[in-house]
Amino acid sequence: MDYYIEPIARLISELSKLPGIGNKTAQRLAFYIINMPDEQVGQLASAIAEVKNKIRYCSVCQNITDVNPCRICSNPQRDPSLICVVEDPRDVIAMEKTRDFRGLYHVLHGVISPMNGIGPDDIKIKELIARVSDDTVKEVILATNPDVEGEATAVYISKLLKPIGIKVTRIAHGLPVGGDLEYADEVTLSKALEGRREM
Amino acid sequence: MHLKELTLNNYRNYQNISLKFDGGRILFVGRNAQGKTNILESIFLTCTGRSHRTPRDSELIRWEQDSCYVKVLVERRVGYNSIEVFLSLKDKKRIKINGVTIQKLGQLMGHFNAVIFSPEDLRLVKEAPSERRRYMDMEISQMRPQYFYNLQQYNRILAHRNNLLKEMNKNPEAKKMLTVFDEQLSEVGAFIIKQRYEFIESLSKIAREIHARISSGAERLNIKYRPSIRASSLDVGDIRKEFFAALEKNKSEDIQRGSTGVGCHRDDIGFEINGVDVRVFGSQGQQRTVALSLKLSDIELMYRETGEYPVLLLDDVMSELDEWRHRRLFEELGDVQVFVTATDLNSIPPRELEKFHIYEVEEGKVTKR
Repeated sequence: MDYYIEPIARLISELSKLPGIGNKTAQRLAFYIINMPDEQVGQLASAIAEVKNKIRYCSVCQNITDVNPCRICSNPQRDPSLICVVEDPRDVIAMEKTRDFRGLYHVLHGVISPMNGIGPDDIKIKELIARVSDDTVKEVILATNPDVEGEATAVYISKLLKPIGIKVTRIAHGLPVGGDLEYADEVTLSKALEGRREM
Repeated sequence: MHLKELTLNNYRNYQNISLKFDGGRILFVGRNAQGKTNILESIFLTCTGRSHRTPRDSELIRWEQDSCYVKVLVERRVGYNSIEVFLSLKDKKRIKINGVTIQKLGQLMGHFNAVIFSPEDLRLVKEAPSERRRYMDMEISQMRPQYFYNLQQYNRILAHRNNLLKEMNKNPEAKKMLTVFDEQLSEVGAFIIKQRYEFIESLSKIAREIHARISSGAERLNIKYRPSIRASSLDVGDIRKEFFAALEKNKSEDIQRGSTGVGCHRDDIGFEINGVDVRVFGSQGQQRTVALSLKLSDIELMYRETGEYPVLLLDDVMSELDEWRHRRLFEELGDVQVFVTATDLNSIPPRELEKFHIYEVEEGKVTKR
């Protein structure tokens, strides 16, 4: 870092802390920023500062939002009796892209992972339980990832919700669309068989 | 399958070598510590993505270098396959099959199969159960790629569960979570147990025939799967229930110990000759013959499962077997391609030696004789 004067060195070191950005890319970005018009640099800096200031968690679904409650939760067109539970705000975006889901979301911000010391209290499960306690919610769809931790989280939540008397469902998993039966592993295949439906 | 070409770059004590192989019998001869085993190790690496000697890839990289490269060209019944392995101290391991990078290690399995027979294998019968499980896992993984996925998942769930067990006293929620992981462990475990049952059953049949020939009919070998959880049937659903019940039953013990006492990670294999446990009562010679039969059975089983004979890597075992077993070994092998390392040409019977292509290995250099 000794080759750089201090302000550049600082920018490079900050940029390289971002995911997917190594030292070389950070250096490229830093020198690009130096040559940018002042106005654009100001816009970039304020966009970064604003994102941190204006973004908060929705008090209902825990998704990131700029207004509280978020635009999905306050949309009267959406069905409040249906809640889809996901791991991460990015999963909400993925679900929204399908345009098929008209219910509300609940974002857990993580999954149970004892190996990494993450228990049920470290993610937004309590908030989910509080939310479903009133009578509007009829069904909770568990859409955590079909890996070891996502599955464990789904099963754990279902064990908490069932006694309350709410319908709990798990998104289907099995063969991907356009996939090949021959290349599926046995666990996937048996899951696909388990979740078969009548035609 | 026949290995046709091998290229090593900064691998162990090799800087840069490229070898072409003709025929089915290849011998690497040289003094100790010249790099004979390293060649076999690199061949095995392209089959399973790992060394048979060490779990740490960094050990495979040449001293003071930060990356290494191994490439093989394999002739198969249906054409040629190239496999390239890149190891680096900085990056993740990268593997290419026919020039295409694979996403998961499991995808490598089955493209090039080898059976390795080293002095440690001669002791397989005597060693701790973990060695026999490792052996079983490697063999099944090469034939059934899904098995490898299941095993990885199983180990992950197990790690979660063991962590929970240690937290049990501090965390009241842990008990509820434990059931969740128990369900998952028994589900994946059931597949593993079933696959192991099937593997040992087919292996045992073949090994009985081979061992009878090697021992001139005097010994009847029986290989038995000794699972930690005994299943009453081979139905995955049944095994799952029994697995779960076993976890329940051992729960308090597990909590006390902070680890899981039953499951696939506690399985073992038993070897019996004429009804007597070879591990406990067999002579050293018997244990070796069993190990030899076992390896020959692996080759035959792989042939039956995949339709092609794997390559056999014989690492320094020639000096450990007597002349009688040598003869039997080569009789059994037929057309299988064999790579042999030896310190001395005399360790191979002269009648066999003339069929070999001989390569001399000295200080990381290999020259064809």
